[in-house]
Amino acid sequence: MEGGYALYTMTKKKEETDLFVPRLVTTEENFAPGHRACIGCGEALAVRHVCKALGRNVIIVNATGCIEVFSSVLPQTSWRVPWIHTIFENVGAVVSGIESAYKARVRKGKIPDKNVKFVGFAGDGGTSDIGLQALSGAMERGHNFLYCCFDNEAYMNCLPSSSLIMTEEGLKRIIELKKGEKVYAFDQKNHELVVKRCEGVFDNGTREIYELRTLHHQIEATPNHPFLVLKRSGRGRENELMWKILSDIRPGDMVVVLKDLGEGEPYKFDPIRKTVVGDYKVTHVNEIELPAGTSPDLMKYLGIYVGDGWTRVKKGEIGFALPEGTEERNALIQLHSDIFGNSIGREDEMYVYINSVNLAKFIDHLGFGSGAKDKTIPGWVFTLPKDEKESFVAGLLLSDGYKTGNSSRYVSASKELLKRLRLLLQTMEYRVGKIHLQRKERGTVCVDRTLLKDAEWGAIAFSKRNAWNTEKYLSQYKYQNFLIESEHFEMEEVKEVRAAGKEPTFDLHVEDAHNFIADGVVVHNTGIQRSSSTPYGAWTTTAPVGKKSIGQATWKKNMPEIAVAHKIPYVATACPSYPFDLMDKVKRGLEIEGPAYVHILSPCPTGWRSPPELTIEIGRLAVETGVFPLYEVINGEYRLSFDFTDLKPVREYMKPQRRFRHLTEDVIEKIQARVEEEYAKLREKAGVK
Amino acid sequence: MKKEKVVGLEGSFAVSEAVRMANADVIAAYPITPQTHIVERLSEMVAEGELDAEFICVESEHSAMSACVGASAGGARVFTCTAGQGLELMHEVLYIPSSMRLPVVAVVANRALSAPLSVWCDHSDMMAVRDIGWIQMLAENNQQAFDLTLCAFRIAEDNEVLFPTMVHIDGFHLSHVIEDMRLPDAEEVAGFIPDYKHPFALDPDKPVSMGCYGPPFIYPETKRAQEVAFEKVMPKILETWKVFGDRFGRYYAPVEKYRMGDAKIALLTMGSYSETAMLAIDELRAKGEDVGLIRLRLWRPFPFKEFREAVKGVEVLVVLDRCVSFGMGGPVCSEVKSALYDQQKKPHVVGFIGGLGGRDIPIEGFEYMIQSALEKVKAIERGEEVETEMIGIRE
Ligand code: SF4
Repeated sequence: MEGGYALYTMTKKKEETDLFVPRLVTTEENFAPGHRACIGCGEALAVRHVCKALGRNVIIVNATGCIEVFSSVLPQTSWRVPWIHTIFENVGAVVSGIESAYKARVRKGKIPDKNVKFVGFAGDGGTSDIGLQALSGAMERGHNFLYCCFDNEAYMNCLPSSSLIMTEEGLKRIIELKKGEKVYAFDQKNHELVVKRCEGVFDNGTREIYELRTLHHQIEATPNHPFLVLKRSGRGRENELMWKILSDIRPGDMVVVLKDLGEGEPYKFDPIRKTVVGDYKVTHVNEIELPAGTSPDLMKYLGIYVGDGWTRVKKGEIGFALPEGTEERNALIQLHSDIFGNSIGREDEMYVYINSVNLAKFIDHLGFGSGAKDKTIPGWVFTLPKDEKESFVAGLLLSDGYKTGNSSRYVSASKELLKRLRLLLQTMEYRVGKIHLQRKERGTVCVDRTLLKDAEWGAIAFSKRNAWNTEKYLSQYKYQNFLIESEHFEMEEVKEVRAAGKEPTFDLHVEDAHNFIADGVVVHNTGIQRSSSTPYGAWTTTAPVGKKSIGQATWKKNMPEIAVAHKIPYVATACPSYPFDLMDKVKRGLEIEGPAYVHILSPCPTGWRSPPELTIEIGRLAVETGVFPLYEVINGEYRLSFDFTDLKPVREYMKPQRRFRHLTEDVIEKIQARVEEEYAKLREKAGVK
Repeated sequence: MKKEKVVGLEGSFAVSEAVRMANADVIAAYPITPQTHIVERLSEMVAEGELDAEFICVESEHSAMSACVGASAGGARVFTCTAGQGLELMHEVLYIPSSMRLPVVAVVANRALSAPLSVWCDHSDMMAVRDIGWIQMLAENNQQAFDLTLCAFRIAEDNEVLFPTMVHIDGFHLSHVIEDMRLPDAEEVAGFIPDYKHPFALDPDKPVSMGCYGPPFIYPETKRAQEVAFEKVMPKILETWKVFGDRFGRYYAPVEKYRMGDAKIALLTMGSYSETAMLAIDELRAKGEDVGLIRLRLWRPFPFKEFREAVKGVEVLVVLDRCVSFGMGGPVCSEVKSALYDQQKKPHVVGFIGGLGGRDIPIEGFEYMIQSALEKVKAIERGEEVETEMIGIRE
């Protein structure tokens, strides 16, 4: 929308709001401003609306959760009405106690009857998981109370989504992992490298992250994530390893890191479908022989490609930016003919071109990326034999690296590439320093070339590690480095632990060993608390996040229906995006004699990874797509608050929320079908034709 | 002239009578053997209109305690009762009334804990809740069960106390046994228990926030405040028991002595076995031995002063535990030892564990403990290590 028009409508809307709203809604705030909810928190907004509808003559019971934490940090409180919080899962029972106390005391003439109302507040976990029993008991006993469930679908946490995990199939991003995949783990008893089954990947929402840095590694994780740390038992006694959570780790602690992944095997490529003459619009193809698997030569070739190459699949072109007469160009030309058995197509002063649509397809398929900024090292490279990895590194050094003395230096514009290269080198007995970022302006000379535009680069330096002189200093090393005899692991000193902002987080569950190797460091998997609540399917919270998996998808526990099944007089769903509807429902629930249940969808920008300014919008989309329909059930009779004959596609609801971004088309299709089915059932119950 | 009746009552009914006379407002409980008779009797009383209270038939003990917390915060006089596994299920919630100063009164019919399943008595359940800020006292007969339950309301609700209170009666030994006892006149009792008013009950006219969130910068201060408040509990307990004694003629003390006169050997027990132990002491005294009995009436707050007073001059103290603290011996014994640690002159303490899961200890059992304790002391004096012995075990 154009800025001017938006501003105009906003001012206009504000004028209208200021004029009409005070006549419709009280301006009294019983939930005081100044609480500590996140920006754009739908839950805080919903609580505010609910409190307006409740008025002053209430007693509120609150479960443990966001609301309690952001509204009652001692010695302050946001509550202008009597309010009590005890624990997570007992709101139903506490409310029934308060209501009974009031009834008894009024009856016994100890206090006058002022028609006080009793209200329970809880999140989705405190309602539909752990708190369900207490709520069910209270509804069954028929106490006179209103229960509001603020459904924000929140979960626990662990490693950021950028974490790179060592698996049997190579290095993978944590969000690429699937249940059943094999990951490397540290066998705590024998200090060996073992392969374990991953039993699940969990999306844990956006969390606060700390960064741990050692000389050669760095990793981010949530402060409660455990790492394997050396516990010195004193001279003469065996040292031990123990788990310590990140926020307790101090500089000087030693953590277990991976140093060598052992010998690998050549990688067999998935065959690609070659373009042949006769395909649509194809009259001529340059024949090329494509290798079936890796070899040292091919890896070196690919090393050069990562530094200086590009592919244009549509055009059927591979190119390398290698200036004429350089060692690199000569090496490339030689390699090319050795591997593919044909010669380079075209050369000029700056570039080398090969015209082969199948070669372009092949290289594109290997997963090295194509632009300078998004070049990367695909996971399978980590599984290669040492000599092939070395050739790959040699290729890299030919293009964008150089050697000074014993140490090599590699420069790249792709941070991801550097991060992965660092981890790759660390599986090959290299010591690697941290990634140095630098900005270079146009015209500066960088690795023998003049930059054509401003650029950001990163560089790492690395060198082969010297063998320990164990003959001479064994006991001393042993004291310094507990894992000296391990082929695959060693200890590194922590240099720094610091807060690193908020990021989406994930966690794995690994059988037996209960640990895995993330960013080269041994970390523990932690227990996950799954929330059973997300509109029509907890697929976002518990499903292993993978390419084709809705495997573990469990559809949402339908709490409003569970409430209806208790035969209570009033059940409703509401959303702060529809404030008047919400307030009406709260008032109705309050007035009705007996238990009333209102389920409020409360968008949580932090957990849903959505822009805070879209909270209201997302709430509306949830309703308009049928994901969260608004309805009431009064004494068993269904009534739709809003009906849509044409639901918007659920895709529109999901799009602004990054928690859904891993879902593929077929999964979304499935959800779409389910939502439509449920919506149809609901309409039927409401008697809408 | 005191108006009172002598009646034969089951321990469970004695407790129910106390709750009725205290005129409780809200009762929330879930039945569990051996506490069932209390729940049954109370719900009957409410149904018959003998007691004007709200009886909340909760779906679990966890909810029972939660409802009590709510009711107490709402300003009501609140009662609950449970046993064994039920107390364990309540455990999480038990911390709330003690930290939020809500004077819930609970009677626990002590029961062993699974596994294996046992509905019979021992003290494992009460020992698991000893560190959570509740006042804990033990009755050894039905009269005491009645008296202590009454006193519990007055102690807990005293505005200088405001701590939840647990009265322990041994499951079956008390809960299901009929004994004759004195039942005071209801009016007398009403005079003894003042009307209850919590100073900050939840009330829309005077809003308060209860149970806020305590980050590290303030949590320790709240715990310190709780500790300071708990230190003021002891004088109030003593005062209440004194007033009770003056009114009804039965005096209680945190540590009660039986034939301790010049005793060189003392036996220490808690709960219903104290009565059997008394018989054993009588027999031994008849044989001319210098033995006496110490009964702990109050378990929390631990009566350090009174206990140290009671063991003055004692050379051997024999402690019976009805609970195992695995890897540690008996919990009562270890607390007793720590209470004596700083004393210049202290007895040898010998611990025994017995009566687990309802296993009986006959009079000879107590005599055996005393005899064998003397042997063990000799061994201790020789510098040998002596382990806590579990008595009455079939090897
Ligand atoms: S936005 Fe989400 S995480 Fe933040 S306070 Fe609201 S509900 Fe809690």
